[in-house]
Amino acid sequence: MAVKKMNRYVTLLLTLLLSLAVGFVFMLILGYQPLDAYLQLFRGAFIGSVNLGTTLQKFVPILLTGIGFAVAAKVGCFNAGIEGELYLGAMAAALTGHYIKGLPAPLHLLICFLAAIIVGALWAAIPALLKVKWGVNEIAVCILAGYVAKYITSYLCNGPFSAGSGVPQTPQVEEGVILPYIMEPSQANAGIFIAVLAVAAVIWLIYRSTIGYKFTTVGLNPYHADYMGINSKKVIVQGMMLSGALGGIAGAIEVLGTYGYFLDNFSLNIANDGMLSSMIVWNDIRLVPVMSFFIAALKAGALSMERFAGVPRSIVDTITAIFVVFATMETLFTIKKKRKAKSGKGGKKE
Amino acid sequence: MAAEEYIVEMTDIDKSFPAVHAVDGGQFNLKKGEIHSLIGENGAGKSTMMKMLYGLYEPDGGTIRIRGKEMTHLNPGIAIGEGIGMVHQEFMLVNELTVLENVILGFEPRKGVTIDFDESRKRISKYIDTYHMDIQPDKRINQISVGEAQRVEIIKTLYRGAEVLILDEPTAVLTPQECEQLFVILKGLRDSGKSIVFISHKLNEVMEISDRITVMRQGKYIRTVNKEDTDTKQLAKMMVGREVFLNIEKAKSKIGKPILEVKDLWTSGEKELSKIRGVSFQVRAGEIVGIAGVDGNGQSELVEAIAGLRRVEKGSILLDGTDITNYSPRKAREAGLTHIPEDRNLRGLNRSLSIEDNLIAWKFQTKPYASGIVRRKKEVRGFAEKLIKRFDIRPAEPEVITQSLSGGNAQKIVVAREVDADGKLLIASQPSRGVDIGAIESIRKILNEVKRQGKGILLVSADLEEVLALSDTIIVMYEGKIRGIVDSEEAGTDNVGMMMLGESPENHDKEVS
Amino acid sequence: MSDVFNLSLIYATIRSATPILFAALCATITQQADILNIGTEGIMLTSAFVAVLTSFMTGSWLIAILIAVLSGIVMALIMAVANIRYNAHIAAIGIAINMFALAITKFGLKQFLGTSGTFTSPDIAAIPRIHIAAFDNIPVLNEVFNNWCVTEVFGIIMVVVLWFLLFRTVWGLRVRCVGRLPMAAETAGIKVRALKYQVMIISGILGGLAGAHLSLGYSQMFADNITNGRGFLGVAAMNFGGMNPFLVWAGTLLFGFIDSVGSRLQSYGLPSQFVLMLPYVFTITVLAVAMWRKSRKEIKAKSAL
Repeated sequence: MAVKKMNRYVTLLLTLLLSLAVGFVFMLILGYQPLDAYLQLFRGAFIGSVNLGTTLQKFVPILLTGIGFAVAAKVGCFNAGIEGELYLGAMAAALTGHYIKGLPAPLHLLICFLAAIIVGALWAAIPALLKVKWGVNEIAVCILAGYVAKYITSYLCNGPFSAGSGVPQTPQVEEGVILPYIMEPSQANAGIFIAVLAVAAVIWLIYRSTIGYKFTTVGLNPYHADYMGINSKKVIVQGMMLSGALGGIAGAIEVLGTYGYFLDNFSLNIANDGMLSSMIVWNDIRLVPVMSFFIAALKAGALSMERFAGVPRSIVDTITAIFVVFATMETLFTIKKKRKAKSGKGGKKE
Repeated sequence: MAAEEYIVEMTDIDKSFPAVHAVDGGQFNLKKGEIHSLIGENGAGKSTMMKMLYGLYEPDGGTIRIRGKEMTHLNPGIAIGEGIGMVHQEFMLVNELTVLENVILGFEPRKGVTIDFDESRKRISKYIDTYHMDIQPDKRINQISVGEAQRVEIIKTLYRGAEVLILDEPTAVLTPQECEQLFVILKGLRDSGKSIVFISHKLNEVMEISDRITVMRQGKYIRTVNKEDTDTKQLAKMMVGREVFLNIEKAKSKIGKPILEVKDLWTSGEKELSKIRGVSFQVRAGEIVGIAGVDGNGQSELVEAIAGLRRVEKGSILLDGTDITNYSPRKAREAGLTHIPEDRNLRGLNRSLSIEDNLIAWKFQTKPYASGIVRRKKEVRGFAEKLIKRFDIRPAEPEVITQSLSGGNAQKIVVAREVDADGKLLIASQPSRGVDIGAIESIRKILNEVKRQGKGILLVSADLEEVLALSDTIIVMYEGKIRGIVDSEEAGTDNVGMMMLGESPENHDKEVS
Repeated sequence: MSDVFNLSLIYATIRSATPILFAALCATITQQADILNIGTEGIMLTSAFVAVLTSFMTGSWLIAILIAVLSGIVMALIMAVANIRYNAHIAAIGIAINMFALAITKFGLKQFLGTSGTFTSPDIAAIPRIHIAAFDNIPVLNEVFNNWCVTEVFGIIMVVVLWFLLFRTVWGLRVRCVGRLPMAAETAGIKVRALKYQVMIISGILGGLAGAHLSLGYSQMFADNITNGRGFLGVAAMNFGGMNPFLVWAGTLLFGFIDSVGSRLQSYGLPSQFVLMLPYVFTITVLAVAMWRKSRKEIKAKSAL
């Protein structure tokens, strides 16, 4: 890769500053007070337990989907359909959480998460299998399957599993499986501990285990892996399934922690933010948590920015998107070697 | 030197790439109407020099003159305009397009914005007739043979008005007999006043075709000599910088039971002529069996089928008595197969990983390098250091990314891993391709050492000299079948060369259909 | 079932296929130069918004299309610069540009039209429809060919134009070469980068048309994420049409057909979510079947038996 490890953090910082600067100029042109906006953004993200709690609550799904995206990238796939896995995982948790009754709470909770993991993993296996079997482009399938997943859950919570309250949602899950709030009155919940645990496990798996070695080698060069006796197709499917499972966990935490039921269309592209946070750090799994937290803070702060500085909160999404546009440019900050040597040393020697 | 004497003058050329100083003080002058060979080992900077003349790379220093005019900021467009044409080592032909479309590309006769196909056809047939070249303009590139594709490349340069033709290792893909044909064409071109640069490292060819010869070594200019004033021995010395004797004596060893038995094997092929159709042979313990043949006659497919990387459609493969037909690569390895693949950058190595991660690639999940799924990095490090020392891999730092290594050292990693795996059979496919002479010597020594240990070796090489130098038995492949099997004592460039071209063998051990 | 499979289904198919056709052509031209244009969706979404905004402010659909096309070019050029100049991975920048489009149109809707979610207004000048009076009294012609939107006709013309451009012109030959073996083009003195920029500009034009048609021809409004995956469906259509404009067109028609049939089946009690889901399921299936057949064919071609 063109970006060396040493420069990564510098590049990241420069990219961030550049994006903020673009946002600054953008707001200035439109007649807002950019400095005030950024200040309100910061306050809205961190100052006070409500704000900080909102940041944490938003952090969890972004973190999990971000790590999920990065894991898929590790085996060389673009899992652009993680939002779909999140929805399906959420639905699985909501249904198991409501319809299974009479179990001890910890066991019930485990079942809810397992259901979400299995559903998410299986959904992600579809594009992976199509890719390794027949070479179908996984990006296209992931995105298209994402729409399908969304409509499936929409049908389920409007139709057969509707709570019947007029709102498109499933019935409330059992009391025992609800993840308690930890920073009231914000919606931050105990799901964050589960998320952190899951992410730590994934990081360990990737960097310390033989499974991680397989993922890495397959992602970098599947031909080499096959020749060495590592079945690249199998590993790609495994990687995508792990990715989908993480999406499923994210969905389960949203349902069991934040809402208590499945609400139609609740996610509003939160997995996209996860994807962004991973792409910004070039899918480096160890950096994803930092970037996810940053993006969660931006999201949380955007509300109060809109309220107090009058800037539409979608500007935050715009700036984040600009951030990722810049971040994808690998050679944006590499200092160009002088292209023309003509003027330099080798001119005339005769 | 009078400027008008030379059509091309390259003086004090300097060129660096991120990892290497490719050319350092390069000199090259070309007279009108001569065939001038540019020779040197792999990585000597020959191709880089010529790519600068063609404007593909920009020199960091030095001057390039064409017909006395100093050229700055050359690019292929300008070079073509100045009458420079280049036939690259890898053909610059688009498979999915026709011969005609490939030839006119970039210089299309037009009718308005559309292509004037009639005019194109007319112009091309002029060259086909003048130089008696046999090509079919309306075939797609993936439908024609390698030799024909090379002629298309030559026509392409002529069509673009080339006065200077650069040919980068043109004979690498040809049989000895096809080479002769090519030489006839080249001499014809010279006699009609074209100047030709012939890049090669095969000294016999160079002595046959050249008027003058320029030698490069490790990016540096060594000397330019007239053909009459030199011989292959002197050229070899200039190329390598010392006397070399690549003809290591064949290791004596006791030949034992069959290790590899291939019986009536049929497999798919990337091209029609590389499909394996009914191949049978065996490799015995303590024996090197060499497969000779022009690239693309099914050697790659055969090796892949044995190694579990390609489906066997019919027939069987036995490894030390065990039927390993259609085993996965993993199971085949577990059964005792080891394999140095032909393309070390694609299969042999994971170039983005470190030396140690590449060395451990087979044993990474076995004890003591892992317990359960936990990797033991300390043990891995120790293992890597041991192999680095034993096989003299440089740099001797386990954590260096392999991408930055020279061809020779990269290849040593592959060899080290496969030899260490300690199988029953070692398949060595193009083991010295793109490797410097020093590494070639040590790799050949290792192969002989493995043979002495009583293992079976299947050697595949497009370099006939290499096959002849190492093998006890030589199998010649042609169009996916075995043309002949020859004992090393009876094998020479002449009879094997004939078989490589598909001629019937004069003396062969058995006929295989 | 006569109210599902009747004559008007033909036009319904065309209507539903056209937005995707433009998107598919947008992806086709770049794919010919070996650029996978995931950003089609974003280009389309941005220009859909710009078209509505311009049309609303100027009252001219023609100016709206022009400005929308311009915005399409801008988006395509951002991708081009990122990919060609700064080595951005083409799928990464494609996804990034889609996010950017999603955000900026949402922002624009609030900033310039003062609303969020959906914007409709009688002041949006729609792309006119071609009324042929002579057809009025001939039921068949009237039902099938009358009152087509200008851009629907234009879309079909673009199929022919693009085919001609790719397979008959000097420029097209060069593009196809750049997409398959860029070194061959470079050694023929062709400026590969310049050509790729040109390709991206044309892609921007087509993507711009896709957006403008969607918001001013197909509908007469703008809503957040109005494209709703049509750009991706276009990419998929490009895939199974094998980059050949005519086959790509056929693919989009098939899609339009499924879509139209699906929405008609709603009156037979098919839940709306299934109708909405149908095009995506169908596209995945077709993609899979197409690639399955391709791999079967390859295996057969390579077989020695």
